Amino acid sequence: MSKSTGQAASTVGIPKKSSFSRIIPYVLLAPVFIYYAVFWLLPVVSGVKEVFTDLNGDFTLVGNFKLMAESDLFNEAVMNTAAFAVISVILQYLLALVLAVLLSRKFKGAKLLMFVAMIPMAITPTATAILWKTGLVRDGWINTLLLQFHLISEPLVFMNAEGFKAVLMVILIDTWTVTPSVMIILIAGLQGLQREMKEAAYTFGANKWQIFKDIVLPILKPSITTSIIMRLIAAIQVWAIAVMVMGYSKTPFLVERIAFYVDVVPGVDTSTKLAFTYSFLTTIVVLLATVVYLKVSHKGVQKGGEQA
Amino acid sequence: MMDRLSIVQKTVMSIFLAGMALVVVIPLLFFGTVAFSNAAEMSEFPKSLFPSSTVTVRVEPTESGSYEVFYDSGEGYESIITTKDAEKLEKHFRRQYSVTLSGEEILADFSQTLENGPMEFTYKKDMFYNFKQFFSIVPNAAEALKNSIVVSLLTILISLGIGSLAGYAMARFQFAGKEQFNVAMLIVRMFPVVGISIPMAVLLIQMGLYDTLLGLALLYSVPNIALTAWITNSIFIGINKELEEASMVFGANSFQTFMRITLPLAFPALAASSMYSFLTAWNDTISALILSNENQTLALVVYKAIGTTSSGIQYAAAGSIVLILPALVFTFIIRRYIGQMWGGVEL
Amino acid sequence: MSYLEIRNLQKKYTKNGPMIVNNMNLSIEKGEFIVFLGPSGCGKTTTIRMISGLEEVTGGDICIEGESILAKKPKERGVSMIFQSYAIWPHMTVFDNIAYPLKLQNVPREEIRRRVETAAAATDIQGLLKRYPAQMSGGQRQRVAVSRAIVVEPKLFLMDEPLSNLDAKLRVSMRTELKNIHNKLGATSIFVTHDQAEAMSLADRIVVMYKGNIEQIGTPMEVYQDSATRFVAEFIGTPPTNFFMTSIERTEEGVQAVGDGFCYQVPVGLTDTLLPYAGRKIEMGVRPEYIEISPGLDRTEGYLTDVDIRFVEPQGSHSILIAKVGATEIKIHTTKYMDIAAGSRVSLNVKEGRVMFFDCDTGKRVK
Repeated sequence: MSKSTGQAASTVGIPKKSSFSRIIPYVLLAPVFIYYAVFWLLPVVSGVKEVFTDLNGDFTLVGNFKLMAESDLFNEAVMNTAAFAVISVILQYLLALVLAVLLSRKFKGAKLLMFVAMIPMAITPTATAILWKTGLVRDGWINTLLLQFHLISEPLVFMNAEGFKAVLMVILIDTWTVTPSVMIILIAGLQGLQREMKEAAYTFGANKWQIFKDIVLPILKPSITTSIIMRLIAAIQVWAIAVMVMGYSKTPFLVERIAFYVDVVPGVDTSTKLAFTYSFLTTIVVLLATVVYLKVSHKGVQKGGEQA
Repeated sequence: MMDRLSIVQKTVMSIFLAGMALVVVIPLLFFGTVAFSNAAEMSEFPKSLFPSSTVTVRVEPTESGSYEVFYDSGEGYESIITTKDAEKLEKHFRRQYSVTLSGEEILADFSQTLENGPMEFTYKKDMFYNFKQFFSIVPNAAEALKNSIVVSLLTILISLGIGSLAGYAMARFQFAGKEQFNVAMLIVRMFPVVGISIPMAVLLIQMGLYDTLLGLALLYSVPNIALTAWITNSIFIGINKELEEASMVFGANSFQTFMRITLPLAFPALAASSMYSFLTAWNDTISALILSNENQTLALVVYKAIGTTSSGIQYAAAGSIVLILPALVFTFIIRRYIGQMWGGVEL
Repeated sequence: MSYLEIRNLQKKYTKNGPMIVNNMNLSIEKGEFIVFLGPSGCGKTTTIRMISGLEEVTGGDICIEGESILAKKPKERGVSMIFQSYAIWPHMTVFDNIAYPLKLQNVPREEIRRRVETAAAATDIQGLLKRYPAQMSGGQRQRVAVSRAIVVEPKLFLMDEPLSNLDAKLRVSMRTELKNIHNKLGATSIFVTHDQAEAMSLADRIVVMYKGNIEQIGTPMEVYQDSATRFVAEFIGTPPTNFFMTSIERTEEGVQAVGDGFCYQVPVGLTDTLLPYAGRKIEMGVRPEYIEISPGLDRTEGYLTDVDIRFVEPQGSHSILIAKVGATEIKIHTTKYMDIAAGSRVSLNVKEGRVMFFDCDTGKRVK
């Protein structure tokens, strides 16, 4: 390389000595810092402040939490959120895994089927809610189908479902919407898996099940755990479908409560406090899940369980 | 050979996949049908899988000089309305059958029964009646559509503008605190938006931005800036520095290099992250609920339409088709970049 | 009866698609080291995948010790394979990688430990047994793959371009080691490569393949010195054989091959074979080291023509000279006149008995 080109390159190259280039990264990052200081940190701080002050503005450590714990449907909201998170994640994962394994096989129409499987992903939650609402009403299309295939003799009344049954319905609807996005991550993992890894196991005598259990699943494990926790974080924040299909207070969830206090009973002082406290609680739960995620993904790196 | 399946396995697989396809497609078909159904079809049971394009009624003249209109909603003709009032008929036909004819025209048709006795009449349905109804029933729907577009574009602009700078900095420079910065960005990305929506409302009121489109976009950008930074970071790392250096060697300055080399190469990442930004802004209802009052977005308007009308759900369905279409088109246009994002999945 | 018999082996991926392997016939004796050599897409990898049982056979038969293995699963065939990407499982330690095939056979734990250690010792990786593949270099992963392949004590080793992902230096030392392991175990091996140097140095016999057909089966020396087809003569050897388009003419002095800018007197031994080609085109091939140059313009029996040397490429132990005969560029390998200057005028003489003729239509050697 000649001298002149060497100089030209060094102006772009990794900055070593020039103080100007040492500043560059901070200049580039400055907008993010400013943005998050104003639109994230400030709201978070004032939100936390709200949680720890009472209606008169005096400090209280647990007052608002007590208020929340004694508020209507708090226990149900906590239990339902937990049940929803656990059941929906497990169900969606198993389903997505089976679909991913089947659809990543090479057969005629696999691409078309993959496209079909992905459609629900592109449908706005509001639209999903309407879609299922028109199905679940007494003279809706679900009853139409069930009757036509003679699975039932009388139309069922889904919308009257209560308690766990109602939660289960929300889970099924959520599964319809969310499974494709989980499936894509798994398909990406499967496509990234070298074919020879499986072939090696096969030549050494592993059967299909052993290949799946001993080779495919463990190699996919890092991407599976990552996306499970991501999914879990999203599941904790469920509310839209529950409210839009079932209505407020029928299937209480943590975030559903926030929306309830903001949307249905606004203006009352305690409802603002309750909304803040519910937000705080939800945030803490989500952050806990994030910490677990960071721990797990870090472990994956240490173990050297790299993909390719 | 390793992949060969027995006939039983093949059958099970086919059944499972066919079941999956049906579970996806059938609800969508019914959903489309609802959006194109008239009120009479909505109350029919069992429902039909496809919407009809015509309406057939049976009309009998009565002794008092009125017409008795019969309609078959699945269990034979039933008497629906008896009148000779043009205005009443016009309303009835429009509301119940989505047939937009003037009362006089209908009466003129019906008068044939005076000579011929009971007759059946078939009218063409106005297929887009529900869509028109949605925009006329929901007072600010058209406005809301415009608002949604503006908010989405603003969100994309803010997220890309700020996020990609950070992504570039993280990919190309070594600096103190990089590791901590990464973790901080992850926490922001995971942080539930609802958590900051309410205090954000207070903040926006102070800044005079409450109930403005910019205010909403500012909130939607919070998770998306971090997401954009993360996506672009990984892409910028993937872009070989030598490509940039080559451009510099041949005499381009840093700006030209960025515009001509780096930016085009990073395009897939930018497209993908703008899609996520778009979808956040386009689909959200809860933050819009908290942060807006007059200036509502389309998602919020549709959401409210479901809440208020359980009888006119076909209008809400039509509204949500309006809501889905832009998202679908947008997703379709940049779907191959999304595939690249997930490590080159063929979609 | 040979150890491994391949009879009329055929492979098509789609019904009306091209023949990837076209009626292949091959016998391999116990203990042989066979190399399948050919450019990519010639069907060599497909063939060993059919032997290993990873690929289905379209037609023909494969027998080990006289018994057809087509209906058997890979594990029942007694073969083991080393893959191009090594296919070392990233989530298992080196020990587990090597032990996995034995675990599948339900070998007792104590015996597994013993056999893994022996196999690891054979490739010198005893110290790495607790490591994960991500923490190892390419060469070390390669050794793990070899250990895993030998731990099952197979009847037949299949190696699919196992060295192609290594850097040049490591590749040379690793191939010596592979040959060494092969000899020590007395195993029968099939090795697939597109690298002729690798093929020449490893093989007892080379199977040269091209477009699904076997072009030639022979020892490295046979394949090089006595190429059976034009393809083999061109594919093997660096630089490759020089080719001249000639027409055979009968003159008073005997039979001559007349090309662009030269007239070559066909050696007496070949005149009868070439006579039927009189008046027709035929391709003449001479390897670079069998063209002798004479700066003194001496003409011997194999005289070709006089040329100017255009370029000299010194290689240390020898030099490659580049010249033009007519419109054809030729390369000459010389150890005698390594310092000759570009521009020198020299005579070219073909070394006695070192000329090869190939039929223009079939590409087959005429001899």
